[in-house]
Amino acid sequence: MKLSFSPRRSTFLKPSLVTNLHRSVCSSSISSPPPTSLKPQTPLFLKPPIHSAASSDLQKWHDWAKSLASSVGSTFLDLDNGPDSTLLCRELKWLMEDAIEEESEGMENNQRSIRLRVALEELYMLWKQRVEERRPFQYVVGCEHWRDLVLCVQEGVLIPRPETELIVDLVGDVVLGNEGLREGLWADLGTGSGAIAIGIGRILGTGGRVIATDLSPAAIGVAGFNVQRYGLQDVVELRQGSWFEPLKDMEGKLAGFVSNPPYIPSDDISGLQAEVGRHEPRVALDGGINGMDDLLHICKGAASMLKPGGFFAFETNGEKQSKHLVEYMENDAGGSFCNLKIVPDFAGIHRFVTGFHK
Amino acid sequence: MSSFMFRKRASSGSCVVLSQNPEAKTQSVPYLLFSTLSEPQPATLNKPSKPQNLSNSISKTSKTLLGSVHNHTFSSNIFFSGSKPLALSSASGKNITGSHCSLLSSISFGSQRRGIWHLSTENKVLASGCGVLGLPMVKSLYSSRGGLAPCSLVCLFGTQAAMEPSTCDGLTVDRIIASDWPILDEDESDWKSHAAAIAQSIHLIKKRLQWKKLMVRLDLLSVEVNKPDLWNDPVHAGKISREHGSLMGKMKEVKAFERELLEHIDMVKLAREENDAELESESMNALLKMRRTSKEKETEALLAGEQDPCSCYIEVQAGAGGTESNDWAAMVMQMYKMWAQQHGYKISVVDEMPGEIAGIKRATIKVDGEYAFGYAKAEVGVHRLVRISPFDSSKRRHTSFAAVAVTPINEDASAHVQINDSDLRIERFRSGGPGGQHANTTDSAVRIVHVPTGITATSQNERSQHMNKASAMAVLQSRLDQLEMARQTQMNAQYSQSLTDITWGSQIRSYVLHPYRMVKDLRTNYEVSDPDSVLEGDLDGFIMSYLSASLDKDEDDR
Repeated sequence: MKLSFSPRRSTFLKPSLVTNLHRSVCSSSISSPPPTSLKPQTPLFLKPPIHSAASSDLQKWHDWAKSLASSVGSTFLDLDNGPDSTLLCRELKWLMEDAIEEESEGMENNQRSIRLRVALEELYMLWKQRVEERRPFQYVVGCEHWRDLVLCVQEGVLIPRPETELIVDLVGDVVLGNEGLREGLWADLGTGSGAIAIGIGRILGTGGRVIATDLSPAAIGVAGFNVQRYGLQDVVELRQGSWFEPLKDMEGKLAGFVSNPPYIPSDDISGLQAEVGRHEPRVALDGGINGMDDLLHICKGAASMLKPGGFFAFETNGEKQSKHLVEYMENDAGGSFCNLKIVPDFAGIHRFVTGFHK
Repeated sequence: MSSFMFRKRASSGSCVVLSQNPEAKTQSVPYLLFSTLSEPQPATLNKPSKPQNLSNSISKTSKTLLGSVHNHTFSSNIFFSGSKPLALSSASGKNITGSHCSLLSSISFGSQRRGIWHLSTENKVLASGCGVLGLPMVKSLYSSRGGLAPCSLVCLFGTQAAMEPSTCDGLTVDRIIASDWPILDEDESDWKSHAAAIAQSIHLIKKRLQWKKLMVRLDLLSVEVNKPDLWNDPVHAGKISREHGSLMGKMKEVKAFERELLEHIDMVKLAREENDAELESESMNALLKMRRTSKEKETEALLAGEQDPCSCYIEVQAGAGGTESNDWAAMVMQMYKMWAQQHGYKISVVDEMPGEIAGIKRATIKVDGEYAFGYAKAEVGVHRLVRISPFDSSKRRHTSFAAVAVTPINEDASAHVQINDSDLRIERFRSGGPGGQHANTTDSAVRIVHVPTGITATSQNERSQHMNKASAMAVLQSRLDQLEMARQTQMNAQYSQSLTDITWGSQIRSYVLHPYRMVKDLRTNYEVSDPDSVLEGDLDGFIMSYLSASLDKDEDDR
């Protein structure tokens, strides 16, 4: 993992953006009005190793955790496509990686004391939550490894999916030979943890900027933490609000925008995998009756937001939605788009729609 | 080839040709070959290596002159040490065969076991007075000038600089070896013993570097490097000049080591003549220090292959036979993990496919660190286990197999095979369901298929899909690089690495846990009676004996 903590840019576009950014970062780290705590929780791997446990006690915990994982077998998998024992065991290994200051080798010496970032009792609790309550592993450890990033996540913020990584590659491909796009202003709508915005912020040229919006103050807080951790305060600006709403001053100026809006049809929400349905924010998942409410809203705004030659990419639920959206943009959007494409993810599902403003 | 080289050298300057004593080599080399081993050596290891073909040693020796010829002004003598039959038999090194070899040794050594150093002062024949000598002339020169008095030789060496690095009185590394001085413990303050030990190391280092091939290659590369149009193709030029630099460096290092040895010997002798105790002890200490570093250099030379310094992937695949065989594959993988850990290598699991009940069907680990590939390449092949299977309720004896492949990770991007994105098919591993926002999974395993070759690579142990893809891509790259290397090796067998032909059918080692306990390497016959230690990663004995033996084999094949 490579982290650049030094700010990459010395100047920023406009003073107003700086104040905005400043405000959002500050509000995320200082003021914490109820009901949602805006101060992001520190992910496990960044906590100081102030706890310790005897090697033998840790081994005991590990054995317990492993047998709990093994007892699951393929129950969850059969039930709702949840994790099986193999996957849980791998997560257990990662939990150890994050919780133990220095991975002990084999733990042969039972007398050794091992420094932990969390008390042993809490490790018991965390693993119980993982297996028995189906709390997503990423919330348990407070982070998600996504592309070459380690992003802080917590309840209230959608955990970025592996599929979504490809959006950054799609942007990477178009900015490669196009300076106007590489040095331009981009937007990430519904940024959540800030994943795509940070991913794009790191591949744009020195003049490139990203504005990331989200309706949820919790998401803005977490995204601000992640942006700061990667030293991108001068590149990625966060604005709270719904879709294009906070971007009124940017109409016709965007070199590109990306989005992974909620796209699951409302009726499917109740049958979701427990990790998703029970723990992740519904507002980030539920896309209305056919799942297309937000996607269509974004498509409608695309033409007015993008400057000529501007690029867009967004994620969909699959073939049906993608097809529908391409048809919509070809016909109803008044022919203002070209090069419309449906791009599959690595599982072969027609996941993304991309195109250019004429 | 050897006769060609001989002629070429001889005509381009002048030349000292020394015969090496094959018996001396036979007696001392096997002990030294394994001197870097930590294990006590079983008797089977100490089989004598075959006497070297004399023509090799002669043309090799003539090659070694390359470095020294231009350093010296005296360049118009051909000097033959050894005995008449050698010089008379033929003008070309090619025809000096094994039969002469044994004849020579019997004549030179007889039963008295005197060093050739002494002998040569009696038997040496000098041919002088020729500017440029072609080999066909040697014979006539020899016959016409055969009767020169030995004393003139001593004078010659005393007053003129010799071609090959030598002491004031004409002692060279080869002659130290041939002298067969007893090698005593390090703490015995005997310069001859130190010198002999160092000379043996130098000899072994040269052998391990494939000195003769190296010199031929260096010649070719020098010609290439000096071509005016070399940089028209920068990629090729970069490759050529890198290799040239690397080989030149190795050659110079050995040469410098040789000269250093001889200089110290000179100093010891001088100190004795002058009764300078301080100088003598200083020089003795220097020799002792050299003796110690020479051991390290020996090991280094064992890993002189281009890819040897690389990190590597080790892949273990279970043979047919279900759970017992999967368990064996897991044991083999565990053995390598422990071996790597003991050597301070960083290991990471790239890919692992568990067996249904126990063990693994297949796994790939990345071993990060210097010379990981150099050592691990010795493990390539099929490993066989015989034991009472704990998975068999009727306690029968089972034989299982696991295949091991080792791939170097070439950090030098310019040496990589170019992979076209359009040739790749990237797949999500074990995917199912609608994915996307529907699924929360920490599983982001990726499989990459290189469509033209059908080679695949998978990675599933990274925590993001991006990293799994990068990791699988790296595995794929190294596999394709290796494939390409194998292809080139076949095309250019002359300067080949012996390890590129991996045959999965070849069984290399047997691990027997029942009815007796033993691990035996079928290639070297190296064996250990404690399988547990081996399975806990104590593989160095096997690895070193294989590496040494494979170099011996190269030598024999030449």
